[in-house]
Amino acid sequence: MSDQKLLSMPVSRRSVLGTIAAAGAATVFSPLGATRVFAQEPEKPSEIIVRAWGGSWVDSLKAGVSDSFTKMTGIAVRHDLTEDNEIQPKVWAAVAQKRVPPIHVNWDTTTNATKSALRGVTEDLSDLPNLKNTTDLAKPVGLDGYPIVNTYGYVYVLAYRPSAFPDGPPTSWKDLLDPKLKGRIALYNDGIGFHFPAQVAGGGKLEDIPGNMQPAWDFIAKIKEQQPLLGEDPDFTTWFQKGEIDAACTISTNAREAKKNGIELAWVVPEEGAKFDTDGLWIPKGLPENELYWAKQYINHALDKEAQQVWLDGLGLPGVVPGLTPPADLANDPSYPTTEEAFKHLIRISSKVQVENESVWFAKFKEIMQG
Amino acid sequence: MRNSRVAYPLTWRVMDMLENVCARIWPASLHRLLPYLMLLPAVVLVGLLVLGLFQIGDASLRVLDTSTFLFSEDYSLENYRQAITSGFFAVVASRSLMGSVIVTVITLLFALPYAYLMVRTQSSGLRKFLLVALFLPFFIGQVVRAYGWLIILGNQGMVNEALGLVGVPPVRLLYNYPAVLFGLIQYMLPFAVLMLAPALTAIPEELESAAGSLGANWVRTFRHIVLPLARPGLVGAGLVVMTLSLTDFAIPAILGGGSQDFIANAIYDQFFRTSNQGLGAALSLMLVAVGSIMVGVVFAVFGAGTLAMTGGRK
Repeated sequence: MSDQKLLSMPVSRRSVLGTIAAAGAATVFSPLGATRVFAQEPEKPSEIIVRAWGGSWVDSLKAGVSDSFTKMTGIAVRHDLTEDNEIQPKVWAAVAQKRVPPIHVNWDTTTNATKSALRGVTEDLSDLPNLKNTTDLAKPVGLDGYPIVNTYGYVYVLAYRPSAFPDGPPTSWKDLLDPKLKGRIALYNDGIGFHFPAQVAGGGKLEDIPGNMQPAWDFIAKIKEQQPLLGEDPDFTTWFQKGEIDAACTISTNAREAKKNGIELAWVVPEEGAKFDTDGLWIPKGLPENELYWAKQYINHALDKEAQQVWLDGLGLPGVVPGLTPPADLANDPSYPTTEEAFKHLIRISSKVQVENESVWFAKFKEIMQG
Repeated sequence: MRNSRVAYPLTWRVMDMLENVCARIWPASLHRLLPYLMLLPAVVLVGLLVLGLFQIGDASLRVLDTSTFLFSEDYSLENYRQAITSGFFAVVASRSLMGSVIVTVITLLFALPYAYLMVRTQSSGLRKFLLVALFLPFFIGQVVRAYGWLIILGNQGMVNEALGLVGVPPVRLLYNYPAVLFGLIQYMLPFAVLMLAPALTAIPEELESAAGSLGANWVRTFRHIVLPLARPGLVGAGLVVMTLSLTDFAIPAILGGGSQDFIANAIYDQFFRTSNQGLGAALSLMLVAVGSIMVGVVFAVFGAGTLAMTGGRK
């Protein structure tokens, strides 16, 4: 069966976490099978360019997906480490001007990618064979089809320095209001990851998002009195390392990476819950046919069970293929949800709602924090 | 034959040939246009920027539709309304304006004695030291320098370690407004010194000697001779420092801890974080307008300083 045919096969929605049938299908589309079908494929480009985040993020992608893709196809993978929000206008401009986009595959947050999907600059990926083997997590919420394929989920945990909490780990986001933590906490500088738990901690309901988020703003205003530092992913690691902060709302991967680097750190999902979100891969429109084909193969390969296992072991995040084994240090960790029970403690809001309201939330957060 | 070759060497012949070519391309009758020709690259460069400005102007009048992430076909002033009425932008704008004024005043206060000593000292060793001290940080990028301050002023930095030796607990020296101003002043000092030095060099030393011989002490000499004659340099340096501070991005971002944004940071957020290029463009044009007004006010009050175009020597 040629892969062209495979790509045009109808794809049904997948059921939740892994089934035996899915595992069987995964075997059919294993790298070995793929090698066989690639023999009849369109002309191979010398390389494909994949935008990625740096540090341990790109290292994991390379180890899990890119290297094995190159081994399988002979196509080199170049990682472009331009920031996700900086590549976006370049891709949009290229598509608008009908130029070939600067990258083949964009590794992006689902929220950011949703903007591109709404703008219509993403290729449809619903014909990827390996989608059959994925969980519902792979499907972007609130969008038709697969303009993006989510590849894993992550949690904005409350990371903390255990020595700063001698009475035990924090249990609530309200613990950040402890006077002893004044000037010792950190949030993302646009408030991402904190709006939704703040809504709950402020006494509001998640169902009121986005209509009434006053409880969130009230709680964030209280947090502002604690003089938090505001930064990006690398800042959190630096701040923990340099003793600038004792607690932060950050992605579990960053906390785990810092811990691996010898920083005294632990994390919890507080009782109000923590934001759960996804990252994904997408392809910009405007690529030559053959390059589009191989870019799709790259994403298809990223959904391969073996590739997911290696890639996500590096990131410490739950993937979208059933049957992945959590890294030993994350077994039963709330930041690595694998069961329905674990997901109950997490807050997931549709990407569409997020992108439609992001600028308003962002401005409000900034107004409070910069005031 | 051999002698004539020596008398009129090959290099001269080449030069003659080049001169003939140049004369054909640019005949003598056009020589008076030569200054304009030399001006052309700069005009083209500025022209391109002006074209970009028109494009930004166009974008500023289009509103982002967050259901499609496309911009409106129609023009409106909505982005400007939003920029003017938002409390956040007002805070950021006033912080930037106030910061640029404070940085300008303090930088000039530091730069003047530095530049004066540098041009007046009789010791070539001291002059070299001052030049090296001036240029060394100049060669280091702004971002690297800002990170340097993180190392020095951080909770576990050199300053806090020194304070710890005398029993003082760590003090938060970073991630506040004074830290941003401090970083900007340190960054701007070389610019100001470099702009002041030529103005101070142009003041004849004899004038100061004459004032001294008439009984003026150094304070009076400085006030009545040096300061007035250095005014063109002070105005030029002040303008450069003020405009650079007003539009700075990296120092507020790195030393401000995310809570001390300047206008450039807010513009970046609109372009790259919320994808609202229309609002970002409106903020950009407003920043250009505010910067131009500030420069205009300085020109009106103090003159154009070393940036004056009249240039005639009197």
